[in-house]
Amino acid sequence: MAIHNILFASLLICLLIQSSHGATKERLFSDLEKSALEVTATPSRVGEVLAAGIDKLSITWKVSSTATKEPEFKAIKVKLCYAPASQVDRPWRKTENELFKDKSCPHKISSWSYDPAVKTAQSFDYTLERDIPTGTYFVRTYAVDAKDHEVAFGQSTNENKTTNLFSVQAISGRHKSLDIASVCFSVFSVLALFVFFVNEKRKAKIEQSK
Amino acid sequence: MAHHNEDNEGSIGTSMHGVTAREQVFSFSAHEGEDVPSSRAVRFDEPTAKFALPVDSEHRATVFRPFSFAKPHMRAFHLGWISFFTCFISTFAAAPLVPIIRDNLDLTKSDIGNAGVASVSGAIFSRLAMGAVCDLLGARYGTAFLLMLSAPTVFSMSFVSDAGGYLSVRFMIGFCLATFVSCQYWTSVMFNGKIIGLVNGCAGGWGDMGGGVTQLLMPMVFHVIKLAGATPFTAWRIAFFVPGFLQIIMGILVLTLGQDLPDGNLSTLQKRGDVSKDKFSKVFWYALRNYRTYVLFLLYGFSMGIEMTINNVISEYFFDRFQLELHTAGMIAASFGMANFFARPFGGYASDISARFFGMRGRLWTLWILQTLGGLFCVWLGRATSLPIAILAMMLFSVGVQAACGAIYGIVPFVSRRSLGIISGLTGAGGNFGSGLTQLIFFSSSRFHTADGLSLMGIMGMIFTLLVAFIHFPQWGSMFFGPTSDELKSKEEHYYAREWTEEEKQQGLHEGSLKFAENSRSERGRKAALDGSSHSTQPENENSGNV
Repeated sequence: MAIHNILFASLLICLLIQSSHGATKERLFSDLEKSALEVTATPSRVGEVLAAGIDKLSITWKVSSTATKEPEFKAIKVKLCYAPASQVDRPWRKTENELFKDKSCPHKISSWSYDPAVKTAQSFDYTLERDIPTGTYFVRTYAVDAKDHEVAFGQSTNENKTTNLFSVQAISGRHKSLDIASVCFSVFSVLALFVFFVNEKRKAKIEQSK
Repeated sequence: MAHHNEDNEGSIGTSMHGVTAREQVFSFSAHEGEDVPSSRAVRFDEPTAKFALPVDSEHRATVFRPFSFAKPHMRAFHLGWISFFTCFISTFAAAPLVPIIRDNLDLTKSDIGNAGVASVSGAIFSRLAMGAVCDLLGARYGTAFLLMLSAPTVFSMSFVSDAGGYLSVRFMIGFCLATFVSCQYWTSVMFNGKIIGLVNGCAGGWGDMGGGVTQLLMPMVFHVIKLAGATPFTAWRIAFFVPGFLQIIMGILVLTLGQDLPDGNLSTLQKRGDVSKDKFSKVFWYALRNYRTYVLFLLYGFSMGIEMTINNVISEYFFDRFQLELHTAGMIAASFGMANFFARPFGGYASDISARFFGMRGRLWTLWILQTLGGLFCVWLGRATSLPIAILAMMLFSVGVQAACGAIYGIVPFVSRRSLGIISGLTGAGGNFGSGLTQLIFFSSSRFHTADGLSLMGIMGMIFTLLVAFIHFPQWGSMFFGPTSDELKSKEEHYYAREWTEEEKQQGLHEGSLKFAENSRSERGRKAALDGSSHSTQPENENSGNV
């Protein structure tokens, strides 16, 4: 009977843990206040594909006058997000309503603490990191409260994510030195094999002729 | 153990030496009175005392000492399984790094899936050809050729810049999985038939562990290289140099430390003279005629095949579904492959134990139970939404399918005597085929979430495992039916002798099969022991956790 009690208790505890996890995790994107921030992202070269590691984005954000949750804002997080074109056939970049599951904005650009006294637009330059993959992007800013929970957001594109998108071309990751090393070791491998082979055949011939 | 001179010793490719555990493998004919050149002289001149391990008359070791590196037997064992292990590392090295690679090369889910299919497809053909290569060149060069000629393909990951390149390189790397055959060939030449089951089981299982170790190794190497300052998209390319180096090092070790045969190397010993060769076409034909070949091909496809598929997809699955770090996902994925250390030998052992009591029927049921449980836990893995449950399901799943692999090779040796090598090779190829098929159907398109793909794969596996019920031996029965009541057909001799034509029987070519038939009477189970078949000195009951 004691065993039964222990098992039941542990089952209860597990369920409680699961449900309590669920409570914090069910924050939804649709609950956030839309357009609370006005965001623009201007690439350094308009109309062309930007190069990761080289080209810059000029990002400005400003709290909209219509923002109702503004008193809760403690910090502003700026992120680089995938446009729908870059999410096709790539489930690891999927947009989900549950915020903890959403994978469409994985790249952090920067984070600023919010000063309610400053009402003007803030702007800064961001050089695209070298680990940004090839794709089409837009910029989104989340406003978070004291518990680090998102409460509002704004993005540089429209609701359907069709306007003001920019394309990035990733670095190839290849290096000439790497290519050369690769060729050298490959040649060594094949040569070593044939040297051994020929040597042994020669020794066998000598053995035979003895 | 009798001198089995004729069977499978003939034309190139028929031997497939030791692809399974039970064949009596002789690289030389031991024809008494025939004028076989110096090889025979060498053999009988060498005193057996010079070997570190006790040996039989063919100078094959009769004990297995895994902690020893004694020349030539244990050294061959270790070089063989480590080579196979290294090739498994290379073949599945990309899998844990896919989250980085897919960003660098802008891959879609289809690209990743197709590359996974390609990585296991090459070995279907290279495994079939490997038997012939080892016959021609010996096990040493067979292994070394695979290792050192596929090392360039591993290095060429540094050139890859798109999905097509990625797929081609993974395809080419996959050919080296044929070291499975060369490893088994080598151990079968070096170890006596009484212990070859255990030896091959360990070699096969420990080699398969490479698929698990790579999931740990590659993320760690990648992490270290990143710490040293490289950006992620370069670091993963540098990481591939590690398996490449390992292959070169193992290749050189094999060539310098290894020895083809207990008495020396193939090229310094003369090859055998005229021996009645078995014709490859005949051996192949009898393999194709036997319907059990196809059943085993499919069954292995859903045990080893599923195992290889999981090696390719599980790390990415844990990374994406549970939002883990790359090396955490790798660690979990690694424990899947590492279970091979004991799971596969366990499967063979379970098969042997069940055969002791229930004969062949016991083996078939053992296989069915293990493989079905594996499929069941695979379904559970796909359904699991919390990390601890997923890990538990994965571990149970791994033991199930890997033990099933061992259990299948407990049955393979009895399907045919003449075509044993080919059937073993075809079964092995079936594993690669099953892996390619399951990856193509479930993991190459956006039709299924990966989680659903896992569950559906488990269900498909369980359905195909029902095919075990169709394996019927006239002399031993099957899962549900007993042996045939026909007096003639219920003899083991009849089953194995029917692979030879009348002329061949008149020439006495089928002697080996008859001897094997006598020894296989133990597959009748307890009844055979009670019938007092005491003159079968060593029935096929040894620990056979093999390939």
